[in-house]
Amino acid sequence: MIFNQLLANSLIIGSIYALVACGFSLIYSTNRFMHLAHGASVVVSAYMLYWIFSVLGIPFWLSCILTLIIASAVGFGMYRLVYLPLQKKKSSNVILLLASVGILILIENLVLLFFGADVKTIGYIQVQKGMEILGAVITPLQVFIIIVSVILLVALYIFMKFTRLGRNMRAVADNKELAGIMGINYKRIAGFSFIIGSFLAGIAGILIGLEQNLEPTMGLNLMIKGFTGAIVGGITFVPGAIIGSYLLGIAENFGIWWLPSGYKDAIAFILLFIFLLFKPSGIFGIDKGIKK
Amino acid sequence: MIEAYLIHLLILIGIYVILAVSLNLALGYTGLLNLGHIAFFGVGAYTSALLTKSLGVPFPVAFIAAGLFAGLFGFILILATKKLKGDYLALATLGFSFVVYSLLLNWTSLTKGPLGIPGIQKPSFFGLAISSNVSFLIFVAIVCVVSCFIIYKIIKSPFGRLLEASRDDEVGLKVLGKNTFKLKAKAMIVSAFFAGIAGSLFAHYISFIDPSSFYITDLILILTIVIAGGIASFKGSIVSTFIIILIPEGLRFFEMPSSILGPARQIIYALILLGILMLRPKGLFGRVDLE
Repeated sequence: MIFNQLLANSLIIGSIYALVACGFSLIYSTNRFMHLAHGASVVVSAYMLYWIFSVLGIPFWLSCILTLIIASAVGFGMYRLVYLPLQKKKSSNVILLLASVGILILIENLVLLFFGADVKTIGYIQVQKGMEILGAVITPLQVFIIIVSVILLVALYIFMKFTRLGRNMRAVADNKELAGIMGINYKRIAGFSFIIGSFLAGIAGILIGLEQNLEPTMGLNLMIKGFTGAIVGGITFVPGAIIGSYLLGIAENFGIWWLPSGYKDAIAFILLFIFLLFKPSGIFGIDKGIKK
Repeated sequence: MIEAYLIHLLILIGIYVILAVSLNLALGYTGLLNLGHIAFFGVGAYTSALLTKSLGVPFPVAFIAAGLFAGLFGFILILATKKLKGDYLALATLGFSFVVYSLLLNWTSLTKGPLGIPGIQKPSFFGLAISSNVSFLIFVAIVCVVSCFIIYKIIKSPFGRLLEASRDDEVGLKVLGKNTFKLKAKAMIVSAFFAGIAGSLFAHYISFIDPSSFYITDLILILTIVIAGGIASFKGSIVSTFIIILIPEGLRFFEMPSSILGPARQIIYALILLGILMLRPKGLFGRVDLE
């Protein structure tokens, strides 16, 4: 059944987008600027896994842990070295957005410089014959991707809802000044949101590195998908960003039922554009401070 | 050898001066945070290349058409993003760049997609062909000076002061009974028109275009030029174009393979952009802050 196959593909790619989007949305909600360099965390993570596991030959699970530590550190480093100094100077969020584009280009080209433009494969998992579930062919790795993403997204929800740090994050997202008055150190919270967001981007990087070949330019592409997902669902609301990402996965995969497959990326851009024009706050977001 | 290289650099600088000054008209003087300028450049390049190559339209007509068509895209963009401001406007215009890029890449029956359009003819005026690079440089210089003169006249005119007023205090200007949207739309169309003209020059100079020339790497380049030169500084954009284009050329003296040269150039641009934003967000000659 072609319908089931497309649905399965939507779920697989939607899971990856959701991991990118929820980190992006988490960082946006506590900092109120668009961290477009979030895609760079994904690329760094995928290439670090390649380097640590495939080049240095360190055992796989240890490589994953090291990769995730590096991805989180890169995200936190961007915050401390670039964003925090800019925020201290009371720069407008447009300047922060431009700075994030600068960081994205910087990191992408550093990766290009060190690893070259040729395609890399991690090759931990041998290509396997897919199994058939309800007429859709899906490999064990793809099942693994969906399960890991869903577990992490649920864990993120529980973390945001029931832990002290999660509550503080939601408080800062809701009203930074008020949270500050209540004794929440919002710079610390912002730092944590970068660490957690980049950790999730790191997981997305590992999963996509196992599933596809690595290219330095994939960060920008995933970033576009991530923020499209976040904007469709509502950028200030993390669960919304997750739903938006799955919707984007569905739109992309069902779109090529009618359109040539080259238009897969164009569908995302057009969806992004339509939402920015007609509903910039997204499906579930709050309409605050966006329009005049 | 060295003269040919210098002439090549000067031609590129001429094209980028037009791009930078026209972007500054929208971004600096009018305060529209437009990250879609590179798309206008691409639209102009493709319009001119396709008109001359596929339809055999004479160059002067294609040249003007490139500007007009880019201007039309400018009008569409400003109309579509009418209600957005700040980083949402930036994101929407960035999205516009992506949409145009993916159209150029995927509309293969028209644009030949990633293969690009080779063999674009050199410009000719009524039988007078501009074949050598020296005469092309003279042609670019004339177009560049005329474009800069027109934009300079616009920003120094009462209309230009209205643009700056709408950037600084839009509500105040509305109270005085001015239609600020109309002002912004005019500025955007003019800005896009000149970007389209620059695109036409670029296509006919390089004689080969593909979508990758009109994507985020070149967007960063022109943004860096305008921000480093200074928001709403005419002189700044021109001076900064020379500086920013010439700095990475120093890398050529280190005998690097091109696989290192390309990324190294991008890294330099990114570092300049970050450095300017962090240390002196007003740029070299800037007068106003980026809002």
